[in-house]
Amino acid sequence: MEKLIYSLVSAKNNLEALNALLAEMKGISGFDLFVVATDEVAAVVSDFDRSGTATDRTMAIEYAGLIEIMAQHFTLLPVRFGSVMESTDLILKMLERNYHEIQQNLQKVDNKCEFGLKILCDPEKIMADMKSKTEAIIKSDIAPSAEGKNSVYREWVNKKLTEHRLEEMMITFVDSVIAALSVSLTRLNTIYKFKKMVTATTIIDAVFLLDKEKKDALIQSVEVIEKQFPGLNFLLTGPWPPYNFVEIVLK
Amino acid sequence: MYDNVIDRSKDITILELLDRVLNKGVILTGDIVISVADVDLVYLGVKLMLSSVETMEQLKAGKGIIEK
Repeated sequence: MEKLIYSLVSAKNNLEALNALLAEMKGISGFDLFVVATDEVAAVVSDFDRSGTATDRTMAIEYAGLIEIMAQHFTLLPVRFGSVMESTDLILKMLERNYHEIQQNLQKVDNKCEFGLKILCDPEKIMADMKSKTEAIIKSDIAPSAEGKNSVYREWVNKKLTEHRLEEMMITFVDSVIAALSVSLTRLNTIYKFKKMVTATTIIDAVFLLDKEKKDALIQSVEVIEKQFPGLNFLLTGPWPPYNFVEIVLK
Repeated sequence: MYDNVIDRSKDITILELLDRVLNKGVILTGDIVISVADVDLVYLGVKLMLSSVETMEQLKAGKGIIEK
């Protein structure tokens, strides 16, 4: 029967405790969870009957829940849902082939957890605020031209200038939020990734990796920064297993 | 109001969870079989993410920190 892989775990001094934890859990479709290990790296797997199993949202959530329980006890690399190999022998060979890369990634996330932060705005309100400021700037920037106040050309230039200024102001504003966050994140020795202007509403989509014991400090820091930007809504989720900080493609 | 916010927050947490477990983490390639009902899951994922944007917009005035 095929094997579904849940996570890659550091097996150094951990195997006995890991096996004890897995003995208390059940994998997808009620199959037993077990360990395939080579030296200091192990994969947590279970049997998987693809022909008799409909993979769906509920199963994906259950799978993530199992990874989360494991992550509460051990440093691990979560494996993307639906990763199946044909046998334990093949899993063992895969672990051996990728041993050093797995070890490096495990060291990177050792005793750390991930948080996600989405920062949302009301785009209409924020643009209206900025537009009023921009129009004032543009009026002061443009001297009266010989072509007259109402020329089509002048209107077009003003419109383009306004759009350009709005875009610049929005980027500057988003950068100011990121700068404020970065100060706190650096203080907490956090690894972070920011995506800017993901949608008109989601101006920042960020993920953080930090020591587990610093999670309360992170939450407090985000709350403080949220108060500095009253027009924005901060959605902080976590702690998660380090899904966004695993940089590994197993061959 | 408060209860509604919490419920929506839980929805968003599930969306965040699905995004991670379906799109992030260790990737297996090569002769290994990656086997899920791809179309259903991807479709469901996209649909949920779209609805989550609306939910997030409704949360603008709500509580920002989401407890998992």
